[in-house]
Amino acid sequence: MKNLNSPRTVAAVQSQRAVTMMLYPVPLIVFLVAWQLYTISDSQRQFIFSSPEKVYSAFTTLIVSGDLVRHSAVTLMEALTGFVLGTTCGAVIGLSLWYSRLVSTVAKPYITALGSIPIFALAPMIIAWFGIGIVSKIALAFLSTVVVAIVQSYQGAMSAEPRFLRLMQVFGASRLQTFRTVILPSSLIWVVNAMKLNIGLALLGAFIGEFISAEQGLGYMIVRASGLYDMATVIAGVFTLVVLALLLTSVVEQIERRLLPWRSN
Amino acid sequence: MVTSNLYFRAPKKALTISGLKFSYQKDASLPVLNDISLSVRAGEIISVLGKSGCGKSTRLNLIAGLMKPIAGEISINHDKSRCNIGYIFQEDALMPWRTVKANLALAQEIGKVPHQQWQVSLMDLLSRFHLSENILEMYPTQLSGGMRQRVSIIQSLLFNPQLLLLDEPFSALDFCTKLRLEGEFYRFIKDTYRAAVLVTHDIEEAIALSDRVIILNNNGTIEADISVTFDYCQRDPESIRGVAEFGEHYRLIWAKLKAVISQ
Repeated sequence: MKNLNSPRTVAAVQSQRAVTMMLYPVPLIVFLVAWQLYTISDSQRQFIFSSPEKVYSAFTTLIVSGDLVRHSAVTLMEALTGFVLGTTCGAVIGLSLWYSRLVSTVAKPYITALGSIPIFALAPMIIAWFGIGIVSKIALAFLSTVVVAIVQSYQGAMSAEPRFLRLMQVFGASRLQTFRTVILPSSLIWVVNAMKLNIGLALLGAFIGEFISAEQGLGYMIVRASGLYDMATVIAGVFTLVVLALLLTSVVEQIERRLLPWRSN
Repeated sequence: MVTSNLYFRAPKKALTISGLKFSYQKDASLPVLNDISLSVRAGEIISVLGKSGCGKSTRLNLIAGLMKPIAGEISINHDKSRCNIGYIFQEDALMPWRTVKANLALAQEIGKVPHQQWQVSLMDLLSRFHLSENILEMYPTQLSGGMRQRVSIIQSLLFNPQLLLLDEPFSALDFCTKLRLEGEFYRFIKDTYRAAVLVTHDIEEAIALSDRVIILNNNGTIEADISVTFDYCQRDPESIRGVAEFGEHYRLIWAKLKAVISQ
């Protein structure tokens, strides 16, 4: 039996974790210092690249006015709804395809075709169909995520280990029992990976929708600021998008720990 | 001197194969296995030896119903539905996302074994195979190879199979673990009056565990069917290796096997 809980192992893991936590902010600090030094005494550079100081000031203004929270909430809501719908529908479709080789063969070229369309090309059409409100952004986030979820979950279902399938066959398990006992759990890793990929894609879908036509959201805020050459607000918007992506990724990691407890053991 | 010392001898056949043919291709004129017949009694362990690719594992897969024969008949305890089979592979098939207990509970979920019976059998098997109850809440990745293989055997036995198929189940284990596990397995089969067919490459293992050793020739038909019995009251796979007759059996089987290999 492997002893993974010995005091020495636990102490080693804890000290490694502490070092990692200390190293996390280092690249960011180096980047901010280099940026500040590059732009500090040159107004033209500050106009093109802005500066950490100006971005901080833009952040403060946006937070005090409530604009940042309002726009972020809209983008987050659009991306999150599209993410949940797209990943859920994609996973259900992908896993269902395991049931029928015929249906999966027929569906394959359609899924590939849908996956190969750049979401930017679909955006004008979606906005025309659903309007400039949040529904069109949710639809774009959905379309950005659904194909990845289908492909990943189908791949997960098809790559279930043959020894488990053989065991189920020997035990006389029905197809539904095999699905529940082997296919679903072994696909979960793939579904979780799809979730990780889909966070960025959902934000991208929502952002593209806002970028093309919107009245609120971080995409709208960035487009408007860039039209006014307000680089500090643009960068503040981009940073906020990054923070949202990191936040959602950490939520997915929590979900992963819940869904796949055996991996952390 | 070769005589029988089996605890259980009964004319009742556990497994009967007659006129079996199998081909990987649709063309039935090119069978991999041709006209195979075999019978195994309850309480009997048979080992199958032969060159790689002669159809040893294919034979087990056919018995287990994992492959379909193009002709012939397989019946287990005169039942052609083949539901009472356990199959233990070289590599354990414990699902890493389930705890040991949940892996063992497959007998309840799929085999519809009543909870109380499952519980009693589980406790009995854990003590037979020298496993502690503490492992039940662990995940398979937290166990050693020997423990995983023990759990794998218990998993199959909880389905209460009358016939056990074993495809080199001890080959990945270290020598000491292997000897111990062979002994536990042997005693279980004899005590509970099951039948077992073991595919192995190890002549010593075949002699130590089996009542009969079957040697297959290159086209999958039976070249020799050798009875393995000892003048030794307490036959045990570990101690039997030191008995003089063990060497006699070894020489006889090796001579037959060598003849097949050089064909």
